[in-house]
Amino acid sequence: MYRLLFQSFFRTKIFLISLVLLVTVGVISILIGKQYLVKQENAIAASQEFQKESIARNLEYHKEDLGLLLYYLRFTLIKQPSTISAISIGQSDVNPLLQAVTIRGLEGQKYDTDFENPSLLMSGNLDLGFVIIYLFPLVLIAMTFNLYSEEKEQGTWRILAAQTSARAKFLLKKLGIRMLFVFGVLIFLLFLASGVLNIALDQNFWAMFLQSILYLFFWSALCLFIVSFQKNSSFNALALISIWVVLTVLIPAMVNNYVLNTYQVPEALEAMVEQRDGYHEKWDLEKDATMVGFFDAYPQYKNYTVPEEEFSWIWYYGMQHMGDLAAEGTSTEMSEKIMLRNIVSEKVAFFVPTMHAQLSFNSLAGTDMLSHLDFLQGLEKFHEGLRLSFYPKIFENVPADTIDWQVHDVKFHKTTAHLNWLRLLLPTVLVFLVIGVLALLNLRRL
Amino acid sequence: MRKKVIFLLAGQLWKDAFRSKVLLVALGLMGFLLLFSAFSGWENYHDLNHTRDAIQNEAQESWENNPDKHPHRMAHYGSFALRLKHVLSVFDLGMENFVGNAIFLEAHKQNTVNFSEASMSTGLLRFGEVSLAMLLKVIVPLLIFYLGFATIARERENGTLKLLIGQGISRREIVFGKWLGLWGLSLIFLLSVFLVVFSFVLLESNEGTFGDSISRFMVLFISYVLFFAILSAITILVSAFSKTAKGALVKLLGIWLLFTIILPKSLQALGYYLFPTPSKIEMETAVEHDLIQQGDSHNPDDPHFKALKDSVLQVHKVANVDDLPFNYSGFIMAQGEKLSTEIYKDHQARLFQVYQKQNDLERYSAFVNPYTAIKNLSMAFSGTDFRSFLHFKAEAEAYRYHLAQEMNQLQMDLIPNKGKAGPNVISNSYWKEFPPFEYRFLTVSKVFQNELISILALLLWGILGVFGLTKIATNLKAL
Repeated sequence: MYRLLFQSFFRTKIFLISLVLLVTVGVISILIGKQYLVKQENAIAASQEFQKESIARNLEYHKEDLGLLLYYLRFTLIKQPSTISAISIGQSDVNPLLQAVTIRGLEGQKYDTDFENPSLLMSGNLDLGFVIIYLFPLVLIAMTFNLYSEEKEQGTWRILAAQTSARAKFLLKKLGIRMLFVFGVLIFLLFLASGVLNIALDQNFWAMFLQSILYLFFWSALCLFIVSFQKNSSFNALALISIWVVLTVLIPAMVNNYVLNTYQVPEALEAMVEQRDGYHEKWDLEKDATMVGFFDAYPQYKNYTVPEEEFSWIWYYGMQHMGDLAAEGTSTEMSEKIMLRNIVSEKVAFFVPTMHAQLSFNSLAGTDMLSHLDFLQGLEKFHEGLRLSFYPKIFENVPADTIDWQVHDVKFHKTTAHLNWLRLLLPTVLVFLVIGVLALLNLRRL
Repeated sequence: MRKKVIFLLAGQLWKDAFRSKVLLVALGLMGFLLLFSAFSGWENYHDLNHTRDAIQNEAQESWENNPDKHPHRMAHYGSFALRLKHVLSVFDLGMENFVGNAIFLEAHKQNTVNFSEASMSTGLLRFGEVSLAMLLKVIVPLLIFYLGFATIARERENGTLKLLIGQGISRREIVFGKWLGLWGLSLIFLLSVFLVVFSFVLLESNEGTFGDSISRFMVLFISYVLFFAILSAITILVSAFSKTAKGALVKLLGIWLLFTIILPKSLQALGYYLFPTPSKIEMETAVEHDLIQQGDSHNPDDPHFKALKDSVLQVHKVANVDDLPFNYSGFIMAQGEKLSTEIYKDHQARLFQVYQKQNDLERYSAFVNPYTAIKNLSMAFSGTDFRSFLHFKAEAEAYRYHLAQEMNQLQMDLIPNKGKAGPNVISNSYWKEFPPFEYRFLTVSKVFQNELISILALLLWGILGVFGLTKIATNLKAL
């Protein structure tokens, strides 16, 4: 029985088309992932060279004035790249991989973007995640929409119905064969990606693996559910494609529109102006207007004297810090708003497997919003660490060549992993079970 | 061809359509989506522009309120340029949410345009956005296919096609009648969307912008009418060539997936793959490298600036820069700004050329994919394409350069050289006089030039459609 079913499936045109389509696009997506990783490596190498060179050159010009030297020097913090991000590039093309900052005010530097072609950003990356979320369901639809109706329309169903008592079982077997094929291709592509992209077979990989399998289980159940109504092929095709459009295009897009409109972030622009004004107005004010706030923040520097009538670096860097402090409140509000966007999106995604799959892929790959916010927090700490290590040296005008510049190589930021298996798998499992049970109940009427 | 017969057949298609559940469901769904996207598009446009306008004014106000000071302080104080949305962005969001919205303009430095919505969004943004244009580009084509796949194929299956021909109706009349009917149906969706857009245009326009908005609107309208004519023709063609209605539907669904999702995305990805771009840090390194080669104003021994100094001293016949009739450091900064801006612009232009190469692959695919033609055209005329963004960026950079050089000029003219008598600050009336940043959209004629390929492709598709319909009419099989 199985052998016959397999043979008849392998002879269909759709089998061949699907195989070629999935494998080709899958391999392309893995190559795109590879290129993405190479670009990251290049950027990291360039930033290392840039930092080393610029320290050496500026050291030559401004040896005698450490305050001025550090006005120019930029120090780089890089988000620790992980190869798994090549499967789900997510938001990492919009958000920069690294930030090279001076020890001046951070607020004006922290949100600088990297260069990327906006057309590409708009059309999105063709990564393996895309292939799994969009194309695999399409192939499942193409292979199953006439699971029952083709037998009916070709007139073979009557013969079958007469020959076997378990008609539902027959359909399930047919479905099983198609699922087996799709899962086979999926697993092949995932392992191929792991090999080509050097992805460790760690917890995150297996989580992504399981999530993909569950996601396709969900689609298989959905296809079976529509088939179980025993309508004709045209109706099934129409219905399944419509559902696909609703799940992969309309609902996520509408949720996104809603989230963007409901949680607008004017704070981003406000903080930008506040930072500039908070810093620059200090030039025209008494030195105390700066120093009181600065010494409040960092009482350890209280003992340094600030000349009233002339320029001093302690005053200058104090002013710079005051700009950051002026924008601090609004900036925090901004992060909270963005966080809120994330929370609401995830909540809705709980009920929509496509959205959940995308968000969880990004999260496992470390390319989601949260990991970028985490990087920004890391950047704040990094910046403060730099400032606090340099402040006393600047204030005492230590000769620049007595400082060990070797230690100021680029630094890496590790995102703390957060993997909640229940949250990850439960939504898809639940939706799959509900639809699967409904489909089976429907099939009993066959 | 008899007009009356064609209209009769078209009318019949309408009657059948309105009897079917598909159209009712489609109309219901479209009505809901139309309301949703009109509302969310308007809210987005209105709120964001309102915020940006307010911030732009706030920034200008604080600029003007600066006390008397050294002009170079003001060059560092700088200004902001905020990107305003065109009213037609309510129609087509285009790249709106993927490009930055605010840029800090200061001396010596070209900053990035920051705070794109994408940078503050979750991964959901990649599923796309719902806008009025998206409905017309993505959803309505699917509906046209749903409504039209059976037209000829099913008549043939039922044998009614033979009857029609037997009654003396020509094949050409059948084909054109069906096409006209389907096209007409699609125009219901189109007109309702454009009616909404028209009211937005009226609502938001003033004397200065009405001409621009209405001509953009008209181009969009005509393009979409043509686009739907092409899609209807494709539907009829596929239906006519398919043995069964089911076969026609499956083919049309394949075409839809290929046109709207698979082709555009793969080609964009392929373009990216073929023409890699440097990251920002790589470009910054290259810019700095060039700058050091050509003239580094920070380096006291730089040959370029040393030669410049000698020639200035010679022209003015003085031995010391402090004896020059203008402020020398203002002069050096002006020269440095000029040089660094040129170098930066040069690198940036090269980067954008690579972007263009990346995009061209998809752009030229308009000749095989009408969706691409309408997509690019629609974005461009809605003021939400890449070129519109580049235009904003160029205007902002021009303003930045002007601001920096104006401050350098003031320093040269009004600030005394080191050791000379005179004030170290100038009156704040100079800032008050400096005009604020005002963004002007690309002119319509410029947009036409940018979108020549898309327009040409769409027209060719139109011709191809009519040709195809005439051609199948003669070959149409009755059985």
